[in-house]
Amino acid sequence: MKAPENWIDMSEHSHWPEWVYIGVVVALLVYVGAEAWNIERIVEHIPEDAELITVTAQQWFWSFEHEDGTKEIGELHLKQGVPYKFEITSKDVIHSFNIPDYLVLMDAVPGRINTIWFVPVDAGEYEMQCREYCGLLHYNMRAKLYVEKA
Amino acid sequence: MVLELHKPRPIWVIMFSTHHTDIGLLYMITSIAFLFLGGTLALAIRAELFFPGAQIIADSMTFNRMFTVHGTTLIFLFILPFAAGVGNYLVPIMVRYKDMAYPKLNAIAFWMIPPAAALVWLGFADFTWYAYPPYSVISAPAPAADMWIFGLKILGVSSVLGAINFIVTILKCKHPDLPLSKLPLFVWSIFTSSLIILVAIPTFAAALLMLLTDRLGVSGFFNPAVGGDPIAYQHLFWFTFHPEVYVLVIPAIGMMYEIIPRFSRKPIFSHSSGVIAFVLLAIVSFASWAHHMYATGMTFTVKTVFMIGTLAAVPASAMHVFNFLATMWGGRIKFTAPMKWSVGGIALFFAAGAGGVVNSAMPLDFITHDTYWVVGHFHLFVMGTIAFGSIAFFYYLFPYITGRMYNEKLADIHFYLSFVGAVMVFFTQHVLGLYGMPRRVFDYPAIPEWIVMNQIATVGAMIMGASMAIFLYNMIYSSAKGKPANMDDPWGLGGKYYYPYQRKNPRH
Amino acid sequence: MRAVCSLSLVLMILVILPTVNLAFGAEVGEYLDRRVEIWNLFFRMMVVAFTIGAVVSGTMIWLVIRFRESNPKATPTKYEGTGELDRYE
Repeated sequence: MKAPENWIDMSEHSHWPEWVYIGVVVALLVYVGAEAWNIERIVEHIPEDAELITVTAQQWFWSFEHEDGTKEIGELHLKQGVPYKFEITSKDVIHSFNIPDYLVLMDAVPGRINTIWFVPVDAGEYEMQCREYCGLLHYNMRAKLYVEKA
Repeated sequence: MVLELHKPRPIWVIMFSTHHTDIGLLYMITSIAFLFLGGTLALAIRAELFFPGAQIIADSMTFNRMFTVHGTTLIFLFILPFAAGVGNYLVPIMVRYKDMAYPKLNAIAFWMIPPAAALVWLGFADFTWYAYPPYSVISAPAPAADMWIFGLKILGVSSVLGAINFIVTILKCKHPDLPLSKLPLFVWSIFTSSLIILVAIPTFAAALLMLLTDRLGVSGFFNPAVGGDPIAYQHLFWFTFHPEVYVLVIPAIGMMYEIIPRFSRKPIFSHSSGVIAFVLLAIVSFASWAHHMYATGMTFTVKTVFMIGTLAAVPASAMHVFNFLATMWGGRIKFTAPMKWSVGGIALFFAAGAGGVVNSAMPLDFITHDTYWVVGHFHLFVMGTIAFGSIAFFYYLFPYITGRMYNEKLADIHFYLSFVGAVMVFFTQHVLGLYGMPRRVFDYPAIPEWIVMNQIATVGAMIMGASMAIFLYNMIYSSAKGKPANMDDPWGLGGKYYYPYQRKNPRH
Repeated sequence: MRAVCSLSLVLMILVILPTVNLAFGAEVGEYLDRRVEIWNLFFRMMVVAFTIGAVVSGTMIWLVIRFRESNPKATPTKYEGTGELDRYE
């Protein structure tokens, strides 16, 4: 207990531990911020050749329209390895389009079109859900995503 | 001083009094009552989620109404009034003035709470405590939503009046021998949080009015069907309620600053760093509101700006943690109830803060936004830090108010059960969020991991509920039949320790 | 000492993790897989959070054990009995 002698003495204690501590905290925050900035920048970049899917949210179901005009309600069929760009909007209240397994999340706001993109890497069946409270059946506003083998 | 139960007075004398301690008492009793009411709703919500499918709540609408009122109650009717109550009790004593600056205004601010609470509880609105339009404009059932809007309006006015009163008391009524910089940190916490209220609340008050006229159909500020912008509401809302988070947490930290040095038998490590951290928090709190809105389609630049603003609030919070730990360092710590709750609160505060840093990283929002991660994260603040600090202070003020001592054994059980319960509920909810479970759901698909984690969380919540029942019993029994407290030194800290109720205390 | 430890930990995280990432972060395909990018970021953040968490909670546990009143090594602080508890520096 030699070093803390300074710490105990409140009237003339040293302030350097606190400065070092603040320095460490700030360094960590800079690291977190820089990493997050970089990944967000990479993730947000939409590939040129992404196929467009129009997503429309409504209390309490999802409808999808492919680029070729095919419409689907409550389910979506995509091809493995193809980049897709979603244009998301809503007809009534705010919803949030979410494919948890692919970390796709974007609010569906009436009067606005929000975009997000992803590539379905693995074939299979995935859940889609609403992640913004939208009323009575919010808990059941789900849809199925089928990724077909390329 | 105030020993209600030693010198009993008829209840209406206390109710119609404008003396700061009486109003403080009213505030605190009301807020603790709402802690229990809101907590009961939480237990019902957790019980419902124990299994997928409908359990004890008839339909999803009732469930939606319950979590809405749960959130509204605990934020506006527990946390804010509790801080106001403690502030009423102690601020005039600490600035050495006979009362608050405006005693009648003080009473009015308190008496706005019961009608507002009645509006919120009788209406039982369903649009979550955010009341996001267009849902709240076009979909929310009628009388409930309007009652909620009026209730919140009244509560907003009440907080602003309270804040003005505190600011004037602190700046204008403090003893001339007492420089502002030497005021106790609790006074500083009330001062900074009052300043934030004064700047932040009017925005929400305006948004509420706009929401109301939108609902009446005479305007369309937030209704896209007539050309409004629902995102504008979110900006107004979070401009008030992100700073409001600091309004909630700062007084709790101030309470810990009052407790920790006494029970460590040492002065605060650095008074000035506490003051600086409070002021920094108050300023930076206004730079981070849109981190609640990353998913609304904001541009990369805007997201970056608000991420930096969010991260900027962290050093100030970290300074408080440092200050607490450095104060305990080299002390001789008496672990009675107030100290246990404070130290538990600091631990959970750190956990919540670390989770908050992770939250603020933009890409991680895709994982966490509006999932149970967020629920776990902010409950670590509101329950783990703020309620823990408030309960610590409630135990600390108990002998002061009643002249009797609470039962230390029961307080011990209360603390350990609550701490274990809080860790079980809120840490599990973080993981549940990583598995993608959205918040505000009445039912969920029967995914085995979701079921198990929901059950762990529910058991934790029940443990916490049980501990709160013990708390209630302890408070009622001890205030009537508890051992008379040694008013010079209720916790036997020895030496000459000044407690807030000792008028001779030269520093208060 | 604590500060030096944490600082070196930070440096380790800053230097070693990106290297490991380069070595093992194989290309998933032609297009970027957001799952990989975002979860990797999440786990890096978790490493930082849990490291700091271990330091802080370790310090807290040590403080609570060492400076509790009932610890055999506990000694009265120099402020006890002086009435100077509220004397801010």
